[in-house]
Amino acid sequence: MSARSLFIPLTLFLVLGFLIGPFLIIVAASFSGGETLAFPPQGFSLRWILKVFTVESFRASFGMSMFLAIGGTAAALMLGIPASYALSRYKLPGAEIVRTVVSAPIIVPGIIVGLALLRYIVVPFQVGITPALFLAHTALVLPYAVRVVSASLDNLRSDIEEAAVLLGSSRLGAFFRVVMPNIRGGILSAFILGFVTSFNQVPVSLFLSGPGVRTLPIDMIAYMEIVFDPSVAALSSLLAFLSIGIVFAAERFLGFSRYV
Amino acid sequence: MKKVILASGAALMLTMGAAQAQEKTLTISVYAFAQDEFKQLVYDPFEKICGCKLVVETGNSVERLAKLEANKANPMVDMAVVSMADALAASRAGLIDKVDTAKLSNFNKIYDVAKDPNGDGMSVGYTFYATSIAYRSDKMKIESWADLLKPEYASHIAWPNVTTNQGPPALYMLGLALGKDTPDLAAPIEAVGEKKGEIVTFYEKSSQLVQLMQQEEIWAAPIGRFSWAPFTKLDMPIAWANPKEGQTGGMNVMVVTKGSKNRELALQFMDFWLSTDTQTKLAEKLIDSPANKEVKLSDAIANNLTYGEETAKSLKLIPSAVALDNRAGWVKTWNEKVGQ
Amino acid sequence: MFQNRAEALALALPAAFFAAAVFLMPVAILLSDGFRNPVGGWTISAYTDFFADPLNRTVFLRTLRLGAIVTVVSAVLGYAAAFAIVNLEPGTKGKMTGLVVLPLMISPVARTYAWIVILGRTGIVNQALQLVGLTDAPLRILFSETAVFVGLLQLFLPLMIISLISALENMPKDAVPAARVLGANWFQVFWKVILPLTKEGLVIGGTLVFTGSLTAYITPAILGGSKVLMLETLLYQQVSVSNNFVSASVIAFILIVMSFAANILLKRVATARNKQRVPQ
Repeated sequence: MSARSLFIPLTLFLVLGFLIGPFLIIVAASFSGGETLAFPPQGFSLRWILKVFTVESFRASFGMSMFLAIGGTAAALMLGIPASYALSRYKLPGAEIVRTVVSAPIIVPGIIVGLALLRYIVVPFQVGITPALFLAHTALVLPYAVRVVSASLDNLRSDIEEAAVLLGSSRLGAFFRVVMPNIRGGILSAFILGFVTSFNQVPVSLFLSGPGVRTLPIDMIAYMEIVFDPSVAALSSLLAFLSIGIVFAAERFLGFSRYV
Repeated sequence: MKKVILASGAALMLTMGAAQAQEKTLTISVYAFAQDEFKQLVYDPFEKICGCKLVVETGNSVERLAKLEANKANPMVDMAVVSMADALAASRAGLIDKVDTAKLSNFNKIYDVAKDPNGDGMSVGYTFYATSIAYRSDKMKIESWADLLKPEYASHIAWPNVTTNQGPPALYMLGLALGKDTPDLAAPIEAVGEKKGEIVTFYEKSSQLVQLMQQEEIWAAPIGRFSWAPFTKLDMPIAWANPKEGQTGGMNVMVVTKGSKNRELALQFMDFWLSTDTQTKLAEKLIDSPANKEVKLSDAIANNLTYGEETAKSLKLIPSAVALDNRAGWVKTWNEKVGQ
Repeated sequence: MFQNRAEALALALPAAFFAAAVFLMPVAILLSDGFRNPVGGWTISAYTDFFADPLNRTVFLRTLRLGAIVTVVSAVLGYAAAFAIVNLEPGTKGKMTGLVVLPLMISPVARTYAWIVILGRTGIVNQALQLVGLTDAPLRILFSETAVFVGLLQLFLPLMIISLISALENMPKDAVPAARVLGANWFQVFWKVILPLTKEGLVIGGTLVFTGSLTAYITPAILGGSKVLMLETLLYQQVSVSNNFVSASVIAFILIVMSFAANILLKRVATARNKQRVPQ
């Protein structure tokens, strides 16, 4: 009994160590005084953190990644919320087909999505690089948007809005006045999940980025192909703390983890 | 919340649209390396001269060539710098045009070997690099390319993958060392294959080697001179080998893409890059060895570059046509002997 | 349930149409390339050629093997960790869940590079092994299947733990104590009570982990390199280095079939269980 009661927490401890360890190394390396990634770090300095802000391409690609993550997720939600509503509240003909089609991008490897878009959408229709990336990121986030919003719609009893409709409200009015306020948390959770997915996305963007237009992770890989110093670790730490801050705030105010 | 998102999305769209509507732009495709320095020494000064905007695509030679091919019908890039062999490949695939050298005022200042490296008038060389072996001089002694495969060394080296620019030249030199230098590189590939279990990795990105060297994962690796500088910053005795078979290397060239709408601007940019002033500045920062013979360098700098027409001529380069005609075969043999 | 079909379609079709046009169509055309005969008609010769090459077979089996091992190991560790977490005080539970999710917030590029430092000859793992006396000389871990396995496990284990936490939380609170009272040992409790009641979470987690492992690009590229090619890295090589789009299409199709097969297989297991539960 006591062996068991020790075994489970010990496993948790080891698993957490395994999951968090690399993160600690990255943070430590950000403050390194040496020329390469090393642990324990050689000395302490802020120069790599400061260097992040001086690399010009990081600024441009950070802007691009922010645009794709915010814009793409917003677009995915605008498509995904009505679809989720139809799936959860209506007798939709071919509901399974719709569900499969919108969630397909999760199963297909990103590198294939990127390649297919490049060869059969971007080149034949002469789509610019930025719109192409935007379309790809929207498609990529759509499954998450539908999944999370559907989950929060399913948790909400549908008789409230049915009652509202019976009492003379239009269906649209019922949606905005009754449903939306109740699934706001779910929508924000979907937004955060989509944002993180899009922001860290590599394989899709690998083929789609082009002259002058690059997402931040692609830029980080390109940077490391040439220079192997701790500035990428520093950048990753900064981004991680930014994400943690956002998620922490979301959890604090909205109970983010209920929806994921 | 949604309104805020919508508004910020729209604002971003607008600013991007505005940026795209700017005057004339020149799109160039270059190696991803030393971009901060290139921006300072080449791109920014050129933008001031031409009053135009430079858009830069970066990546390795093969990947960028694949993108040129994919966008053949609607070329986005106006001028590219690639390896000699890739320039020939691009020319054979109909991706590039003849370079109008009459419009390059600095053309007569560059070494003869760089004027038309592939003999087809489609490219102009702008830099050379030697490829040799960077090694820990306290751990090993390198006198021949074959020394790398010695039993006591093999488990401490990284070898360039056959798909990289350094791969075939390194194999070619190993072939010379083994006394079997056929164009199919069969003997050296076989020799590497016999040691594949011991060799630490077949590297694709040379920047990784600095990390591996620092962690004592490896003691030696064949590298191009352009990736040498970071090794000198490590707190270790690392030397540049001078094997008895000589050094190999490569030349990087400039090409203009077929269907480019900014031909004049592209040529103007190439001329600027080839000028004595620009080439000197790039050399002094140890970025690119010059192809312009008017460039004068101090010994300290010259020793860390591939400097001078004699040095350039002494490099044992694989002719582009040989590289191109055998590339598929090399990869096939490599996959059979080394890949699995 | 609303009955208006036209309204339902108007709501659902934009999303479905978007996904079909931007995503399904180009992917379908790409996949059809692998079946196209250059002289006209259709053929599977690209597939027979692909599997005739021993290197491709090695890569295929390696991808399948690593995907399966990562999924199984993450299920085992995932159950232990999730079980520990759901039995914590509510406050601690939230914090621990946060720690599990934390790695998902960090760029996979950086996470993978951290492993180069950890698994290197002079890294913590080798130092610890030598300190304990398990090995005399540093082991070579980098650029091996082990390194790729470790990287993938760290990348996808959080998804498994999260799926299992929600499954365990939905389990009836008295199920385990009841089984204990009836004299079941812990192995029986897990096998007969916990596993059947949390299968759905296992299916979701398993699909995410397996599909993720198949389609990860950076981890095998950096930790395995060309010595440990996987299908995804091979695909990139075929496109970017060899310009071989047919071969890329073949690999793409194989990857998708593998993902779907795993998904269907796992779903089968889950529905089998649901049917059992209905009569109760």
